[in-house]
Amino acid sequence: MTALNDIVPFRAPRRRSDTNSFVGMLIFLGTWAMMFGALFFAYAEVRLKNAEWPPSGEAPLPIALPLLNTIVLMLASVALGFALKAVRTAHPGGLRLGLFGALVFGSLFLALQMVVWRSIYLGGLKPSTDIYGSVFYGLTCFHALHVLVGLGGIISLLPGALSGKFNVQRHASVRHWVMYWHFVDVVWVLMFVTVYVL
Amino acid sequence: MDAHAHGGHSGPDGHGGYHEEQHIHPDPTTFLRKYVFSMDHKVIAKQFIWLGLAFLFIGGTMAMMIRWQLAYPGEPFPVIGKWVFAGSNGIVSPSAYTSLFTMHGTIMIFFAITPIMIGGFGNFCIPLMIGARDMIFPLLNMLSFWMQMISSGVLIASFFVPMGAAAAGWTSYATLSTNIGTPGWGQTMWAISIFLAGISTIMGAVNYITTVIRLRAPGMGYFQMPLTVWGLWLTAILNALFVPVLGAAGILLIFDRTFGTHFFMTGTMIKGGGDPLLFQHLFWIFGHPEVYILILPAWGVVSDLLAFFSRKPAYAYKVTALSMVAICVLSAVVYGHHMYVTTMSPLLGEGFMVLTMIISVPAMVLFLNWMKTVWKGSMRLTSPMLFSLGVVFVFGVGGLTGLYLADIPQDLYLHDTYFVVGHFHMTMAAAVFLGSFASIYFWFPKMFGRQFSEGLAKLHFWLSFIPINIIFCSMLVIGNAGMQRRLYNPNDYEMFKHMHPLNRWISMWAFTLFFGQIPFIYNFFKSVFAGKQAEMNPWQVGTLEWSIPSPPPHHNFDEIPHVIHGPHEYNNPAVTTKDWLGQAEEIPGTGGGAAVSKPAN
Repeated sequence: MTALNDIVPFRAPRRRSDTNSFVGMLIFLGTWAMMFGALFFAYAEVRLKNAEWPPSGEAPLPIALPLLNTIVLMLASVALGFALKAVRTAHPGGLRLGLFGALVFGSLFLALQMVVWRSIYLGGLKPSTDIYGSVFYGLTCFHALHVLVGLGGIISLLPGALSGKFNVQRHASVRHWVMYWHFVDVVWVLMFVTVYVL
Repeated sequence: MDAHAHGGHSGPDGHGGYHEEQHIHPDPTTFLRKYVFSMDHKVIAKQFIWLGLAFLFIGGTMAMMIRWQLAYPGEPFPVIGKWVFAGSNGIVSPSAYTSLFTMHGTIMIFFAITPIMIGGFGNFCIPLMIGARDMIFPLLNMLSFWMQMISSGVLIASFFVPMGAAAAGWTSYATLSTNIGTPGWGQTMWAISIFLAGISTIMGAVNYITTVIRLRAPGMGYFQMPLTVWGLWLTAILNALFVPVLGAAGILLIFDRTFGTHFFMTGTMIKGGGDPLLFQHLFWIFGHPEVYILILPAWGVVSDLLAFFSRKPAYAYKVTALSMVAICVLSAVVYGHHMYVTTMSPLLGEGFMVLTMIISVPAMVLFLNWMKTVWKGSMRLTSPMLFSLGVVFVFGVGGLTGLYLADIPQDLYLHDTYFVVGHFHMTMAAAVFLGSFASIYFWFPKMFGRQFSEGLAKLHFWLSFIPINIIFCSMLVIGNAGMQRRLYNPNDYEMFKHMHPLNRWISMWAFTLFFGQIPFIYNFFKSVFAGKQAEMNPWQVGTLEWSIPSPPPHHNFDEIPHVIHGPHEYNNPAVTTKDWLGQAEEIPGTGGGAAVSKPAN
């Protein structure tokens, strides 16, 4: 099986119920994109209102560590992509490796995010300082909650991955959590660009 | 790879796929699994309807208190006043009045109409009418209901916290809804409750959309779906797109109120503040599609019922469906007409005005199709039909008054008057109210397996239809005369004093409407528990839910039906024995009728 797959990439036809939940997941992510879209709308609105940004003349947010963190989160997505490919080509070891990798990178992201929040908070910018602090903490905390949910999702996949429950035919839940992670990752990239860089 | 699933006509392998996927599960046996934590869409539908009717009663009672205050300001509210307004000797106090109109709107929209029409009939009708055994994600469906219950609990609890329930209007404009305008827990709990209700709605919407895309019975293309399903499906799509925007507004409001952020606050004290108008933007980006979310299920139901009871195919079925699609698309780009008086750029305002006016084109097409459907039909004036015709009338009046408000120069004068109140009650309240009862009476036999008293239902119609028109048309009149909304006691103002008799007149009819619901309550409870056994198809209509027993078994269809006709197959000349034809029924006497007839419409 493995050898054959190396020569001819073969993907088994999906079961109808897998396609059903795939469609449901796509619609759900579209819904959630609207919620983040509304938050970005809010960001754009307050940016337009304040000619100066940051408005109270405080120091702009750091970029180096968040940039590193962005790369960390993207690595988590890459690891999950690897895991999905592994389960599709019947490599259970690759699935386990990918999931553990994503767990490590995802947790590292949250840890680094804590460091960023802490240093900025101690530096004097609080949620109540002004709209700059509100946008920074509001958007990044809401995103971090989604990363936390994603980590929970990966943990929920681990028992199945370790016991060999997932195979080429049955891995719908892996696919869904990978989709979710990619979504959270894309949102973060947009957030990094808007909140930190611009 | 699933091409056969998409409405393709037949194909044995397509049919097989449906059965493989939609197993017949054994009926649940325990009480908890059967009635409380049920995953059966029919039970969840009933749960939603009970919840919605309970809140309709609470919200209606609040409306009576508001009308009492406007008719008899400063007099104690009769009977229950001394308990409800214990702190003020039964008199509706100013702060209680503000809470009342806030919670009346919130409850009616998010906890009465949404559960009844979307949670209730969405759940009940979609799988039965497209020939599915259940919703596509039954567990998600159950969670959706219980999320709505938690949300309801939070909302009810907010009445009992210090400083009382939310009081910033159902729109909760910042800065009224921030800690400056409404301190205390009530408004925060309002935001939490709305957020949770939104999550529940989103769960439902994902379920409905996917169910319609994936579980239509073989042969049922999108244009063989009953218009009810069209209305509910488009509602679900709008919900999925725009409820999250309200969710985002709710989150930011919760942040502002609990973590001290400044998204919606500005002023001299806060350097670099946020923008109070931001809340209005987010609210109305959601809020305008929301009014179509509320009315679309009723439109769908009415479009079907008018055809069913005129014994004619719905006139220009496809055009009706596509006008609803057009209205959905347009509804997403007109929200600015709620904000004409917020120092909006006149150019932008004109854009919104034109787009808003354009909505009347598809709306008029829809309306004319209804007229053409009943025109020269052999009408059967049953209670669901009466309610449907009632919807046509009140929606006509409500829609026309919308044109005044869409027009900027008119709106500058009419903004925040009772004209607005009359307009949105005519469209959102009266039309949806009558539409809900049309649906309740129409599907009652299927839902409960019992027959209700037709005489009481007709009495209920007249006791609802006449007062509801007088109330809201009088509101249009009094609003045009300049009376502002949300005033605690208009008689305090010299310029509104002379309107007191008209206010009292509206209140009288409001009380009539309230007590006019007694025949319904009696009829409903009596028929649910002791009604006559209902037949399989008492209305003689052809949609799929009427081809199975009343009430349907747990798995709905023993055999997934194979659809060969459109939903309104009336007076087909090829059928000589009766005037209707089931969607999956072969033309009697032709034997191979299925082979020659294509899905019509």
